[in-house]
Amino acid sequence: MLIKVGSMIAALLAWLGLSFLFPETVLPGPWQTIRVLAENFANGDILSHLTATLGRVLGGLVLAMAVGIPVGVLMGVNRLAEKTLDVWVMVALTVPSLCYAIFAFIWIGLNETAAIVAIGLTSAPSIAINLWEGVKNIDTRLFQMARVFNASRWVIIRRVLFPQVLPYIMASLRFGLGIVWKITVLVELLGRPDGVGFELFYWYQLGNMQQVLAWTLLFTLVMLFIELVILQNLERRMFSWRPEVRI
Amino acid sequence: MDNGIRIQGLTKSFPSPRKHEAAHRVLNGLDLTIEDNEFVCVLGPSGCGKSTLLNTLSGLDRDYDGEIRFGGRPMTRAGKPPVRMGYLFQDPRLLPWLSAERNVDFALENSDVPRHRWADIKDHYFQLTGLQAFRRHHPHELSGGMAQRLSLVRALAIEPDVLFMDEPFSGLDELTARRLRVDLLDIWRRTGKTIVFITHNSYEATFLADRVVVLSQGRIRREIPVTVPRPRDYDDPALFAVSKEVSATFIAAAEEAERARSRP
Ligand SMILES: Nc1ncnc2c1ncn2[C@@H]1O[C@H](COP(=O)(O)OP(=O)(O)OP(=O)(O)O)[C@@H](O)[C@H]1O
Ligand SMILES: [Mg+2]
Repeated sequence: MLIKVGSMIAALLAWLGLSFLFPETVLPGPWQTIRVLAENFANGDILSHLTATLGRVLGGLVLAMAVGIPVGVLMGVNRLAEKTLDVWVMVALTVPSLCYAIFAFIWIGLNETAAIVAIGLTSAPSIAINLWEGVKNIDTRLFQMARVFNASRWVIIRRVLFPQVLPYIMASLRFGLGIVWKITVLVELLGRPDGVGFELFYWYQLGNMQQVLAWTLLFTLVMLFIELVILQNLERRMFSWRPEVRI
Repeated sequence: MDNGIRIQGLTKSFPSPRKHEAAHRVLNGLDLTIEDNEFVCVLGPSGCGKSTLLNTLSGLDRDYDGEIRFGGRPMTRAGKPPVRMGYLFQDPRLLPWLSAERNVDFALENSDVPRHRWADIKDHYFQLTGLQAFRRHHPHELSGGMAQRLSLVRALAIEPDVLFMDEPFSGLDELTARRLRVDLLDIWRRTGKTIVFITHNSYEATFLADRVVVLSQGRIRREIPVTVPRPRDYDDPALFAVSKEVSATFIAAAEEAERARSRP
């Protein structure tokens, strides 16, 4: 914890130092950025943009998990599914995220559904790959044990397969979030009239670096909070049975 | 109910991982009859198919030729095995996310032992194996020997009629192993199970068994009855004499297997 705080202070100082070397229009300093951010808060529309973006992040993440998890698990447990799907997952992973966004907005329209579809489909392949690798690592000897003790297929899925897949689901949730929020911003600038991505693009076009940095800072802080405070704690609580790994 | 096991012409092959190679035949027309309530120890060189034998007997692996019957009731290709069985694997195979006690509950939940008896059964076996203080520990907090004892508790808790044990005491110190052998014989005497026990240790086999079976190249090489009366004394010279014979057969079997392997 001390190290984290220390490195953050160091980064702030570096930012401060660099901001003296460049004009304000290129790299505003931390204080100016925070002041602009505070003004934005006072003006009031910051929250509506933020909730719009978070809604899309959430929707996209749910869609990505809903598609990615079943595909990944299926590929991990079934050899035929693995052989059929692996090339398609690779193709889906290779297509640039911008293409998904363009296709979605053209085919579905400039609306919320298209945004979420674009976000979800872009992130689904990475989640599928994550789970596919994970499921391949599960311990099949435990299934034999369960069968010897007369566990039904349903009990085996629920009590032996699922707990082994859960850590990979949680990992892919965190990892998926990291991808989803980056894509959300991109999708917003391309085809939505609100949200953090829209604001970033708007201020970029006006050449207002203070605002661009203020929005970047806000969004990064919110995402770090979700990632470090909410998800890590959830994970710690869920997997408290695990031995702690110290390196 | 008769819980004897009758094995006839048991043959089991594993397909070779390489395409044009012949399948690897591990069990080769094995015949063995185990009486109801008998304690049989199986010895054999490493890789001779002991674990494979237990996997087929327990119904985990039903892809074999030959016939297995429990008191006349055949093992079918699918469905529940015809007897209640407990299996102590060569490795503990515990569910790492459950506490010791919940691991035992997992087995009980899928058995037909009525729920009101669980507490007594668990108390009894946790006490017996010296794990009473570790009921809330998770498997990674147990030593290897403790984990093995826990899987013994799990196998016994469901009160099986037939008990398969795959080298259960090989990872324990000699003192604990001796204690558990005596306890196992005690449980066996009181509950009347049929036990198939795999070991590398000829003295352990002689001490425990009614009959020691030496396995080699997929068949029974020799059956050695142990007629020393029970309860047996660990330092009984009569046991020692039988154990020497078991040892000699075992070594001969191992050498024979080695010769067969080096033959082109
Ligand atoms: N699932 C499998 N697929 C292919 N070959 C297998 C499989 N399981 C076992 N074998 C082979 O069958 C043979 C017997 O294995 P098994 O595990 O029954 O030996 P074992 O007598 O229990 O040996 P150990 O005393 O070392 O435990 C070995 O040669 C092994 O390579
Ligand atoms: Mg074995």
